[in-house]
Amino acid sequence: MISGADKTHEVGDDLLEAIDYCYEQGWTDGLPVVPPEESRVQAMLAMEGRPPETVIAHHPATRLELTVCAAAVNAVMAGCLPEYFPIVVAAFEAMDREPFNFHGSTVSTGGSGHLLIVSGPIVDEIGMNAGVNLFGPGNRANATIGRTIRLTLMNVFKIVPGIADKSTQGNPGKYSFCIAERADRNPWSPLCEEFGYPDGVSTVTVFAGAGFCNVENHGGNTPEAILDTMANAMANYGCISTGQSVVVLSPEHAEIVARPGWSKAQVREYLFEHAKHPRADIERLGKLDRGYDRQHWEDCHRGIGPDDILVTVGGGDAGGHSSFIPSWSRGRGSIMQTEAIGVCIDC
Amino acid sequence: MRLVDPTIPAKEGLSVRAPALASLEGRTIGLLWNHKLNGDRLLTETAGRLQARFGGKILPMATKNNASAPAPGELLTNLSPECDYLITAAGD
Repeated sequence: MISGADKTHEVGDDLLEAIDYCYEQGWTDGLPVVPPEESRVQAMLAMEGRPPETVIAHHPATRLELTVCAAAVNAVMAGCLPEYFPIVVAAFEAMDREPFNFHGSTVSTGGSGHLLIVSGPIVDEIGMNAGVNLFGPGNRANATIGRTIRLTLMNVFKIVPGIADKSTQGNPGKYSFCIAERADRNPWSPLCEEFGYPDGVSTVTVFAGAGFCNVENHGGNTPEAILDTMANAMANYGCISTGQSVVVLSPEHAEIVARPGWSKAQVREYLFEHAKHPRADIERLGKLDRGYDRQHWEDCHRGIGPDDILVTVGGGDAGGHSSFIPSWSRGRGSIMQTEAIGVCIDC
Repeated sequence: MRLVDPTIPAKEGLSVRAPALASLEGRTIGLLWNHKLNGDRLLTETAGRLQARFGGKILPMATKNNASAPAPGELLTNLSPECDYLITAAGD
């Protein structure tokens, strides 16, 4: 048996029967999985330098633990190639940090999809998609890395829909929610550099995201026109909270904003300043609890400051379509986390 | 074909149930609010009804700062010797 594995299952050599067997065991997210055959798991484990028994994430309520080995098994099932595995490991190490709130963000009625944003040279090295159809479908790395997160949550941490996972309406991002940052059309520093990692180090940022919101503007040709459109989406009554935001500007929109010289910091400040409603409106709607009730500002902004807004660039060359992903939870239930991929910065 | 099991068994003995109380008569009631809207009202009303029926003292309501995170261990450790039983609720 593979070191680190608790149990194996002998099945026939018929692949379709093995796929059915995985269904019968309750190991899937509803879609067929790649049967986690031993040699595939070993190939995945070869990408990680630490022993397979190494624990990389914990569930604070159930105290279940994720080992490198269990992550590798689920990565195989999701369809990952071995070279994708360091991203999976880094993502779970990021999620394991207390501010991410592993428990709440995985079981809440709010239905968080864990968005992974990969930045740096690994994007091209493993063939991730940062361009057309950014959020999918079509790219194996994006699709299967994101899917590994969900399969692992279900199989290892028992975050099973309807049992531990009490999401009211679910979230398509819970199948898979993984994108790459586009480097060639990004007028600003990539996230891995912005976060202060050394040259050549790639990163993954994990964000407990609610539903995806398309932000369309094909007629606006000024930074203000684009960013006012985005700020309006960020402040919509259904989404506004003191939580963080992810803003993915399309290449067209990013170019319009950056052409006159706007820095990313200016973008964040503008969005924070304009994504707001009068306090009386929020109170009238019954949403003044959790966070806003502790602030005494005249207006209720989305987030508590410009640094709560992550701005990145991605998507195809054509189209005035950006996106906003609000945070899960009615307040600051989870704070996004970033981890270096395949290297230990603090070691 | 040999498949590797993708699950991890739960560790034994990490959690144990407290023994059930023989009676609620005169017992001290602890309250833990997760800070969601109306949860405090639900707890207050519930504790009031229990007190009316069984007597006993109601402790000041303890509050979680983050509704979706597990209660901090220190908070539970402090509450444990103070009350005979604790009521918690998720208001919304």
